Amino acid sequence: MRPQVLILLLAMASSAMGIAQTVEESFARDPGPLDFIQGEGFEQAIMQALAGDALVGLNAQNQVVPRLSDRWETRGNLLRFHVREGMKFMNGAPVRPEDIAWTIQEIQRRQDASATKRGILQGVKLTVNGWFVELSSPKPPARLLMELAHLPVTRKGHPDEGCGPFSMVRRGSEWTFTARSHFLKPKLNTIHFRLISDEQALLQNLQKGWLSIGVPPARNGLRPPPDMVELRQPTHAQLIVFSHAGSAPLQALEKWRGEAFPVNFFNAKAQASRGLWPETLGFPLMKIQAPAHPSPQSQHWELLYSAGDDLVQKALLALRERARRDGVDLEPKPIEAALLYQRLLKGEFQLASALNVFDPHPWSVLELLEPNGPMNFCDWKDDAFAGFAAKLDSPQSPAWHELQKIWAAHPKALPILDFTSVVWVDKRLKVEPSPLGLYLTTPGPSGWNWLK
Amino acid sequence: MKHLQGWIIWLFAFAAIIGLPGAVWHQASAPAFPWAALLPMVSLLVILGLAAPAMAASLGPDGARHRMLVLLEAPPDFLWGGLMLASWPSTWGPPGLAAFGAAFLIAALPTEVRWLCAAMPAERPFPLAYGTAVSRITRRIVVLHLMPRWLAARVPLWLTAALILERIFGVQGFGGDWMHRISNRDRVGTAAWMLAFALLWRATRIWDRR
Repeated sequence: MRPQVLILLLAMASSAMGIAQTVEESFARDPGPLDFIQGEGFEQAIMQALAGDALVGLNAQNQVVPRLSDRWETRGNLLRFHVREGMKFMNGAPVRPEDIAWTIQEIQRRQDASATKRGILQGVKLTVNGWFVELSSPKPPARLLMELAHLPVTRKGHPDEGCGPFSMVRRGSEWTFTARSHFLKPKLNTIHFRLISDEQALLQNLQKGWLSIGVPPARNGLRPPPDMVELRQPTHAQLIVFSHAGSAPLQALEKWRGEAFPVNFFNAKAQASRGLWPETLGFPLMKIQAPAHPSPQSQHWELLYSAGDDLVQKALLALRERARRDGVDLEPKPIEAALLYQRLLKGEFQLASALNVFDPHPWSVLELLEPNGPMNFCDWKDDAFAGFAAKLDSPQSPAWHELQKIWAAHPKALPILDFTSVVWVDKRLKVEPSPLGLYLTTPGPSGWNWLK
Repeated sequence: MKHLQGWIIWLFAFAAIIGLPGAVWHQASAPAFPWAALLPMVSLLVILGLAAPAMAASLGPDGARHRMLVLLEAPPDFLWGGLMLASWPSTWGPPGLAAFGAAFLIAALPTEVRWLCAAMPAERPFPLAYGTAVSRITRRIVVLHLMPRWLAARVPLWLTAALILERIFGVQGFGGDWMHRISNRDRVGTAAWMLAFALLWRATRIWDRR
């Protein structure tokens, strides 16, 4: 009898350990306090995705799925959401349509609210009707719907209180997320984040088994430890070169980017871009259609880039060597990130590169084209733009192809690198990678579980 | 206005901070001031502030050429941090504040002791000619006179240079806070830091006069 009891106890203990096992993770930088109104940045977005719920979510296949709203309908430019009933905030208060309205109005009202969220809600009009929330916008509803996935709701008057699948506690440089009762039914008990900013320290933490998930440095020959597996997933991030020197440098770079980087040059973290707009967003490959320029021999082009990014520096040095073979003196010049952005805004550059993460919908490329668009640093304009932009009512609209053609005729920017997310994950942990990363999808971490 | 020149320099520093050029593209949320780091960091600085002068008083000006100190001073702090992290047994779990503190003191102490020793006046022929007791008293007086200048010159450096070890050990501290405010162009927050350094300088001037 005794051995049977012992076996039973051991089985119970191991099962309990399996359930209670914590996912150990790290933040590369301090995300600041959890704030659904003001909070900005990648780490903050992870916190908000864990502790908050947006009206809708995006799944790993980039499709809109229900979240706080269990159903919705589109009537012309109007989106009508039914708010899921029975949802509760961290303090137990029920989630009401008034909380959604307050979140949206607060972001629109406050000048210090997240710039990304203010951009999403620009021109949005809101009406609350019982358990329905109605939003109308000058944007196509399909675009607004996808953008709303990045706008979690907070309790009225409490910008730090969400209703997501995990509750958060912060102690110093550690953040603990604990599963709570939620319709997504998180299978994990706890996700624990530590602040590890140093790449080498992160690698040591991964190799010593102190982390369940981590992004290894971009070094050749690095292999995950035996108890981890490497996941690779193309992302919507690109290194883009902007040109104030006309399309000749972009045409040359278009040729060089395909020839400058040897195989496995970036250890799978990046590869040369092929088209003009991100392939991951579904855009077909297209080449620059501008008239061919005479050979750029004995030209000198200065290319600004953000100092301190090893991978970008490595790429630009490789491009410099390729340019030299064509007799061009391409001079990559490092500059501090904030100074670079200021020069981009003022247009004080010949060529400048910047890393951009596109939102997971095709409309995000309009940032390059729209007058006063956040990435239209070179003041690109075309008379035909407004006509095509009005027809972009869905990701499948044929107007996208026409728009890309007018961009290809006289582009002001060209992607050089497409980034891939390379993550090491504990072999026992089942996660679902996506172009948005591991956290920003629905169900995201709520769908993870420990394999027995 | 005995300290006018000093205040003018601090005013220039304030102006530089407020007028710092640059803009931030994807503005991340400004982190709260790391109050939790206040006690550990102050404790470390107190240990450093007591141990370094005590060791300098014990070694005297010859400490500036002490071979062991020179040897320990040579490696940069990230080497000590990396070494400690690499040698930390994986079964113990990630090292925390204690390892950070140890690496900080290993990196900082030899440098500071040598800094103080190098600033001490020579002891030969006097006061050594009067005997070791007189020499010890002289060293104590010298160290007491050096301390305020040393603190004013070195504390700001160590507060901000701890950034590297903070990044290695995943500890939230003042170095990271300072760096984050600069990179995010938090001009008000950085000016507050500058004000704290200016007040430290002013406090050490009062101590120096006494």
